[in-house]
Amino acid sequence: MTALPAAPALTPPARRFRRLRRDYFGSPASALMTLASLGILLGLGWWLMNWALLDATFSAAATQAECVQAGGACWSVIAARWRVILFGIYPYDEQWRPSFACAVVAGIILLSCLPRMWSFRRLALTWGLGAAGFYILMRGGILGLSVVNEQQWGGLPLTLFIFVATAVAGMPLAILLALMRRSELPVVARVTGWIIDTIRSLPLLSILFTFAIVVPFMLPGFLIGEKLYRVICGAALFFAAYQAEIIRGGFQGIPRGQDEAAKALGLPYWQRMSRVLLPQAFRLALPATINQFVVAFMETSLVVVVGFIDLLAAGNTAYKTGEWKFAYVEVYAFVAAIYFLFVFGLSRYGAYLEARMNAGHRKE
Amino acid sequence: MDLTAPAIAIRDLNKFYGTFHALCGLSLTVRKGERVVVCGPSGSGKSTMIRCINQLEEHDSGEIRVFGTLLDDNLASIDAVRREVGMVFQHFNLFPHMTVLENCTLAPILVRKTPRAVAEALALKFLEKVRILDQASKFPGQLSGGQQQRVAIARALCMQPEILLFDEPTSALDPEMIAEVLDVMVTLANEGMTMICVTHEMGFARKVADRVIFMDKGEIVEEAAPAAFFEAPRNERTRLFLSEVLAH
Ligand SMILES: Nc1ncnc2c1ncn2[C@@H]1O[C@H](COP(=O)(O)OP(=O)(O)OP(=O)(O)O)[C@@H](O)[C@H]1O
Ligand SMILES: [Mg+2]
Repeated sequence: MTALPAAPALTPPARRFRRLRRDYFGSPASALMTLASLGILLGLGWWLMNWALLDATFSAAATQAECVQAGGACWSVIAARWRVILFGIYPYDEQWRPSFACAVVAGIILLSCLPRMWSFRRLALTWGLGAAGFYILMRGGILGLSVVNEQQWGGLPLTLFIFVATAVAGMPLAILLALMRRSELPVVARVTGWIIDTIRSLPLLSILFTFAIVVPFMLPGFLIGEKLYRVICGAALFFAAYQAEIIRGGFQGIPRGQDEAAKALGLPYWQRMSRVLLPQAFRLALPATINQFVVAFMETSLVVVVGFIDLLAAGNTAYKTGEWKFAYVEVYAFVAAIYFLFVFGLSRYGAYLEARMNAGHRKE
Repeated sequence: MDLTAPAIAIRDLNKFYGTFHALCGLSLTVRKGERVVVCGPSGSGKSTMIRCINQLEEHDSGEIRVFGTLLDDNLASIDAVRREVGMVFQHFNLFPHMTVLENCTLAPILVRKTPRAVAEALALKFLEKVRILDQASKFPGQLSGGQQQRVAIARALCMQPEILLFDEPTSALDPEMIAEVLDVMVTLANEGMTMICVTHEMGFARKVADRVIFMDKGEIVEEAAPAAFFEAPRNERTRLFLSEVLAH
């Protein structure tokens, strides 16, 4: 087998090598561009490695002078203040509770991503139990846990909670709004259109303010509820208005014959929607939907304006006390890494879903 | 549903699109077990007429009865009629996100409340009948046009309808696939299925139709048994149309 004839057939590595040479060194200009880009990348990488690792200080006990002396990143601030960044003003001795709560949220998100979990009963069970577990851990008041009310929640668990609650409440509302906007009854369609356009023409900031501060004056006492939940209602409404339009866009990509075929088979409205049209609308709207989730995750940081210490705000407080004032870059890098982890995971999952949905479908 | 009444009784049907008069006082009666082929030039209202029968289009005036059930504003009677009237479309309209088998079992399970196992057995029986049993677990996008259309026929049959409507079932197909679909339709016709079939396949009309109907400008211009229709058309427009279609 080793004595291959000198045939033109190339082994796969050789073929790859030839492609690389053609794509990146095909002409003097492209060779120059390739070398220049490589140089810049290597230089940046080298500098980053020095800053973040080789010259960095890691000890929680290090002082500003020692950090400056070493010349690199001062990760000491993270070592010293990570609990403030992650948990905000949650009581220090109880911080094992938000740690578990974060794990619960991460766990139910990961579980719901598995295709074998996609039945209404399984999802409802997971989310019901997960929400109850999260609430009991965070809020306490039973099982011997001390009460920590919502005003003291902060950091990562708060960010996760606001995001998940916004999406879970906003998505069904979005579906409802999209269906109402497509209604055959002109009055329903038009009024829904107005509602969606009105919400979309308001900045999220003003909606959050309204729900946090103005709404309590307008509602009877027993309806006011905790500020956190009002803020989530506002965010969910905002999310739903945008997501409804995304779903409507998906509907418009479905050929008319699909609804007609479903009608001809005798399927009533709700079954035509839930079995035939919505699954296809979501498939078409998937990229935009993932995008909307990413935006919603980023926008959780706006709750700081109504007095909540989310992950980003907690990061801000972590370095603003006395001795760590100089180390804000490191704190922001740390917070950014956490956001990146979530959002990157989300977009990879979106890509996986798209590939999975396209597997059985050949486009004509 | 009264199975002794005429399968379809249309009287003085009018349909407007805006100001355009698409169906002009059309009347038609189809007996149970009868096979009717409808032909006519493009835009003559053939699709509109058969789509009124299962109310994919609402008519403006006139009366449509399916086995005695009057189609009016009563949604329950529309549902009842749709359960008994299957339809096969020009562009198949299979549900692309479901397998062939799921396409066939969806409506029986949801609408007829057939237990899943029974619905699947029934679906497999009809898939075998349209000679496509081996593709049951594929998605529609993985099938050829002719195969998709045969699945669409099986899907309609799974509701065990009394009447089947076909709207140009072969005109989106490549020539070599037309025969396989027509074969299935001939088999159904020979088994006594009540059919209304819009098609320009004159060979099919000659072979199975009890009656051929020629439509033009929203009216029925001529109707006759196939022999009379093809050998001795009475109307000038029919003759012109036939000379064009048969010239190919
Ligand atoms: N949704 C609609 N809006 C406006 N006009 C319509 C609509 N659907 C059909 N028409 C018009 O009604 C007339 C009859 O249409 P129909 O589809 O019934 O014709 P057809 O006989 O089936 O023609 P073809 O052989 O091309 O399918 C045509 O002139 C068409 O332009
Ligand atoms: Mg037509």
